[in-house]
Amino acid sequence: MLVEAGHFALALALGLSLIQFVVPLWGARSNDPVLMAVAPTTALAVLGCIAFAFFALTVAYVTSDFSVLNVVENSHSTKPMIYKISGVWGNHEGSMLLWVLILALFGGVVALAKSSVPARLQANTLAVQAAITIAFLLFILTTSNPFTRVIPAPAEGQDLNPLLQDPGLAIHPPLLYIGYVGFSISFAFACAALIDGRIDAVWARIVRPWTLGAWAFLTLGIAMGSYWAYYELGWGGWWFWDPVENASLMPWLAGTALMHSTVVMEKRDALKVWTILLAILTFSLSLLGTFLVRSGVLTSVHSFAVDPARGSFILGILIIFIGGSLALFAWRAPMLRQGGLFAPVSREGALVLNNLFLATACATVFVGTLYPLALEVMTGEKISVGAPFFNATFLPLIVPLLLLLPLGQTLAWKRGNLLGTAQRLYAVFGIVLLATMALLAFRHGGPVAAPLGIGLGVYLVLGSLNEIVTRSWSKEKGLSMAWRKAAGLPRSTWGTFIAHAGVGLTVIGIAATAWGVEGLGSLKVGESLRAGAYEARLERVTPRVEANYREDVAVLTVLRDGREMGTLETMKRLYVTRGMPTTEAGIMTIGLGQVYASVGEMQPDGSVGIRLYHKPLVLLIWIGSVVMALGGGISLTDRRLRIGAPARAKAAPVAAVPAE
Amino acid sequence: MTRKQRRLTLIGVAGCVLAIAIGLVLYAMNDTIVFFNSPADIQAKNVQPGTRFRLGGLVKEGTVVRGSDQQISFEVMDAEATVKVNYKGLLPDLFREGQGIVAEGVLEQPGFFRADTVLAKHDENYMPREVADTLKKQGHWQGEAQAAPATQ
Amino acid sequence: MVIWIILLVMTALAVMAVLWPLSRHRAIAVQVDPDTQFYREQIAEIERDLKRGALMPAEAEAAKAEAGRRLLRATGTHSGETAAVGEPALRRRRAVSAFALSAIPILALAVYGAYGSPHLLTHPPTAQVRQQTEQLDLMRAVAQIESHLAQNPQDGRGWEVVAPVYIRMGRLDDAAKAYEAAIRHLGPEPDRLANYGEVLVLAKNGLVSAEAQAAFEQAVKLDRTSPKARYYLARAAEQDGQVEKAKAGYSELLAMSPADAPWTAVVRQELTRLGAPVPEPQPALAGQGGAPQIGAEDIARMVSGLASRLEAQGGTAEEWVRLMRSYAVLGQRDKAIEAAKRARQALAQDEKALETIDTMARELKLTDAQP
Repeated sequence: MLVEAGHFALALALGLSLIQFVVPLWGARSNDPVLMAVAPTTALAVLGCIAFAFFALTVAYVTSDFSVLNVVENSHSTKPMIYKISGVWGNHEGSMLLWVLILALFGGVVALAKSSVPARLQANTLAVQAAITIAFLLFILTTSNPFTRVIPAPAEGQDLNPLLQDPGLAIHPPLLYIGYVGFSISFAFACAALIDGRIDAVWARIVRPWTLGAWAFLTLGIAMGSYWAYYELGWGGWWFWDPVENASLMPWLAGTALMHSTVVMEKRDALKVWTILLAILTFSLSLLGTFLVRSGVLTSVHSFAVDPARGSFILGILIIFIGGSLALFAWRAPMLRQGGLFAPVSREGALVLNNLFLATACATVFVGTLYPLALEVMTGEKISVGAPFFNATFLPLIVPLLLLLPLGQTLAWKRGNLLGTAQRLYAVFGIVLLATMALLAFRHGGPVAAPLGIGLGVYLVLGSLNEIVTRSWSKEKGLSMAWRKAAGLPRSTWGTFIAHAGVGLTVIGIAATAWGVEGLGSLKVGESLRAGAYEARLERVTPRVEANYREDVAVLTVLRDGREMGTLETMKRLYVTRGMPTTEAGIMTIGLGQVYASVGEMQPDGSVGIRLYHKPLVLLIWIGSVVMALGGGISLTDRRLRIGAPARAKAAPVAAVPAE
Repeated sequence: MTRKQRRLTLIGVAGCVLAIAIGLVLYAMNDTIVFFNSPADIQAKNVQPGTRFRLGGLVKEGTVVRGSDQQISFEVMDAEATVKVNYKGLLPDLFREGQGIVAEGVLEQPGFFRADTVLAKHDENYMPREVADTLKKQGHWQGEAQAAPATQ
Repeated sequence: MVIWIILLVMTALAVMAVLWPLSRHRAIAVQVDPDTQFYREQIAEIERDLKRGALMPAEAEAAKAEAGRRLLRATGTHSGETAAVGEPALRRRRAVSAFALSAIPILALAVYGAYGSPHLLTHPPTAQVRQQTEQLDLMRAVAQIESHLAQNPQDGRGWEVVAPVYIRMGRLDDAAKAYEAAIRHLGPEPDRLANYGEVLVLAKNGLVSAEAQAAFEQAVKLDRTSPKARYYLARAAEQDGQVEKAKAGYSELLAMSPADAPWTAVVRQELTRLGAPVPEPQPALAGQGGAPQIGAEDIARMVSGLASRLEAQGGTAEEWVRLMRSYAVLGQRDKAIEAAKRARQALAQDEKALETIDTMARELKLTDAQP
C-alpha cells in the first residue's frame, strides 16, 4: 500500500512541477509578486512528494517486499541491512529516483533561502529547476519505474550485484549525485539571469556558495569512487580513465573553473558572459555524464540501439536542456552589460589562465571519452582510448596550471607585480629545489617522474603555507600577534589555501605511485613473495561461509627486513545467489603507504596465485582530495558568502570588504 | 596597456593554449590509441607482428594451460579463427573457458599474442562489450536466453 | 478504502501548496517591488548586526553603501511598480487557481493510472508477510548447514539434508551438487540416486537428460522397485519418442505399487494421456501430490509466477517454451495448449519465435495446439 502511495506521490510531484515551471515564469514576466510567491511553496511540496516516494521505496527494500520488481531484482532477504538500504540506489531505477530527490532537495533549499536570493531571481531559478525535474520525473515514470509490481510475488530476490555490496559504494552515489545535481542550481541561476536579462556581482555572490558546495561534494564523491575501485577491483589501480570516471571528472573540471570565475565576477565585475556559459556547460557535462552512465551506451553502442527507450529519452533531455540553454545564451548574452577588462598580470589575470587551462583540459577529456563512441557509431571501428592518451594530453595542460597556482594566489587583485610576487615565494622555491634534489639523490636510479612530481606537490603545499605566513607574520609584532592575525583572516582565504594544499597532497600521492613495486607468484603454505622492501608469507588458506557468500581466505604475514608487521587477509568470494565470484584485496596501511595483496586462482597442486604491491604514500591521493573538499567547506562558512547560503537568517552581507 | 592590447593579449594566450591542446590531442590520437581486433580481424586486416592492440574473443574450451610461476596460455577464438595467447599474471575473477575476454598486448608472430593485461571488465552477462558486438555481428550470440534464471 | 483517503489527502495538500500563496495576496502585495525588497531587507539586517555588535562600524558602513548602490540600480530596471493588485492580477490568480485545481489531480491520476497498479489498492496482496518470515527462518537454517558443511565437506548426511531445502529455494544446481556429494560420501543408494536424478530433471525443466537417466538406471539396478526412478525412466522413454516403452514402464510401475501409494494418481494420469488402458482406479487415492517429492505445488507456484509475468509483460520465445514445457510436465495439457496459443498471439510477428513454439508443441505432442 505504501508502495502505491509512493508511486502516486511521484505522479503528484510531476503535476506540481508543471505548476512550478509555468506560474513563476508568468509571474516574473507580468511582474506579479503573488505568482512569483507560488514558486517556493510548490518547490517544497515537490520535495515532500519525492521524499515520500523515496521513503516508500526504501521501506519496500528494508522489509524485503518482493512484490516490487525493483526489490526482487536487486535485493535478497539475507542481505545485511546497510546493503538493503544502499540497494535502493544501487540500481538504475533507484539511482534515478535519488537523482530527482537531490534535485528537489536543492530546489527546496533555494525556496527556503528567502533572505539571500531576490524574489525575481528565486522565481526564475525555481522555474528552470522545475523544468529539469519534469524531464527526469517523466523519464522515471515512463521508462525506469522503480514501483513496478510483480504479482504473485516471488519468494526470494535476485540479490544486489556483489561488487556493489560495499560500504564505499553505499555512500559514493549520494555524494556524487549531490555534486552532479548541485551544479543544476548554478545552471538554473544562469538561465534565470539570462531570462531576466540582468546579471551583476550580486548574482555571482549568490551562485558561488552553491557551486562551492556542489564542487566539494563532487570532489568527495570522485575520491570515494576512486578508493572503491582501488580496493574492490583487486588490481591496485586507483584511476583508469574509464568513461564512467571521465563522466564525473569533466563536470569537476568545469565546476572548478566555474568556482574560480565566479570569484573574478564577484570581485571585479568581469568575465560575466564566460561565467554564465561555464555554469551552463558544467551542468551540461553533468547531464552528459548521466547519459553516458545511464543509457547503456557505454556497455554497447548496439545495446543502445536495440533498447532505445531509456537511452533516447536521456539523449532527448540532453539535447533539450543543452540546446535550449545554449540557444537562450546566444539570444540573451549579447544584451548583458559587458564587464571591465583588466591587466594580464593580476590575480584576475591568473584566474583567467586557470579557467583557460581547466577548460582546455576538460575538452581533451571530452574528446578522449567521446571520440571512440563517435568513431564506432560512424565507421564501426572499435578503438580504446586509455591512460596513454590522457597522460599525453591532460598532464601537459594540468602541470603548467599547477606551476602557476602558487604564483596566482599570491598575486594582488587589479595590478600585480610578477617579480615582487616571485620574491615572496623565494623561500618556497629554495626548499622545493633542495627537496627535489635530495629525493633524486636519495632514490638514485628510480624513476625521475616521482621526485619531480613530489617536488611539485611540496611546492603547492608550501606555496599555500607561505601565503598564510606572509600575511600574518611580521618581525616586529611577534608570534602571538601573528597567530591572532592568521586566525582573523577571512574563512574564504583559509579555505582557498587549504584546498590548494590539498591539491598538493594529491599530487604528491600520485607522483609517489611511480615508486610502487609489485610481486607476483604462486605460493604454497609457508612460502613467501617479495615486493620491494616488503615480504608476504602465506600462512594458511581457509574456507569461510557468511550469510550471502562463501569465500576462501588467504592469510598472509607481512614482513619487513625479517620483522613481522602483522597479517592481512585476501579473499576469493562466491556470491551464492548470483553465482558470481569476486576478489577482496587485503590491505595493510603503514604510515601513508599501503601493502596490498590480492589472491588469484587456487592451483591444483595446492598453491595460490598472489599479487603483492607496496604503494608508498598512496593514501595521500585521497587524503588530499578530502582536504580539498574540506577547504571548500571552510570557504562555504565564510560570513561574506552567507548572503547566498540558505537557512541563515542572521546573514551579514558585508559587501565591500575586499580579500586583501 | 590599452584596452585593445589587453584584449589581444587575452585572445593570444587563449589561442596558444588551444593550439597546444589540439596539437597534443592529434599527436596522442596517432600514438596512443589501441585498436580492437577479433582473431578473424587479424587476418582480414593483415595486422603485422609487433602491433599493439586489444584482442577479444572467446576462450577456447580445453586450451587453458597453467604453467609454473603464473604463466598461462590459452587460445582465443571467434567463429573464424584462433589465436594463441600467453599471459603472466593473475586472471580476472570471471575468466573461464568458453567465456569472452579482452586481452591487451602485442602480436609476436602470426597466431601468437603476448598479453600484458587480461581485462576483468564485463557486463552482467560476463561478456566484454566489444566481444559481444563482434559475436553478434558474426551471428554467434544467443543473448540472455541461456542466462535466464531457472526459477522465478 | 483507507488508501483512497490517503491519496485524496495527498492530492489536497499538493493543491494547497499552490493555492496558499495565492490566498496571501494581500500580504505579498503590500511588499514593495520584489527587486528592491531584497536590498531593503539587507540594509535593515546590516543595521541589526551593527547594533548586536556582530559587525565593525566601518564594515557595516561599507556594506550599507554597497547595498544602497545596488538598491539604486535595481530600482527602475523593471517598470518599477508591481502588479499584484487590480483586475488583471485577480484574473491571473483565478487562472492559476483553476490551473492548479485541475492540472495537479488530473495529471497525477492519469500518470498513476497509466503506470501504477491501482487494482492492488482494492486487493492488496496479503499473504506476503507470513511467507517472508517463514522464508527467513529457512534461510538462517540453510546458512548454518552451509557453514557446517564448509568445515566438514565429507558429512554426506548433511548434504542429503540440505539438498531438498535447496530444491525448495529454487537453487537446483546447488541441490544437484549436494546430492552428488551425498552419493560420493554415503554411497549410491536407490533413493538417493533417484532424488539426484529428479533434481537434474527439475533443473532441465522436466527434460530427462542422459546424466539423469544414468542415475535412474543405476537406482533401478540397485532396487528394482524404486518408484521414482521407474517413473522417470518411463518419462525418459516418452521424451525419446518411445511411447510404447513408456506405456509399458508406467503400467509396470502401477502394477508393482501398493494401491494407496501417493504416486499412482499421477501415473494413471500419464497412462490416460498416452492413451493406454488404465487399470481400475482404487477408491482410496485422491489427487495427492505425485511422485516428485518436492510437491507439485512448489512447481505450480513457480510456473504460475512465470505465467502471470508472461501474461502481463510478454517474454521471449524461450520463456514461453519453458512455460509450455512446465505445464506439460505438470500434466496440465490443456494449460500447455492454451500457453502455446497465447505464445503464438504474443509473438505473431516473429517468424523464428513461432518456429520455436511450434517445434516445442510438436515435441510435447500438443497436437490440438497447432494453428
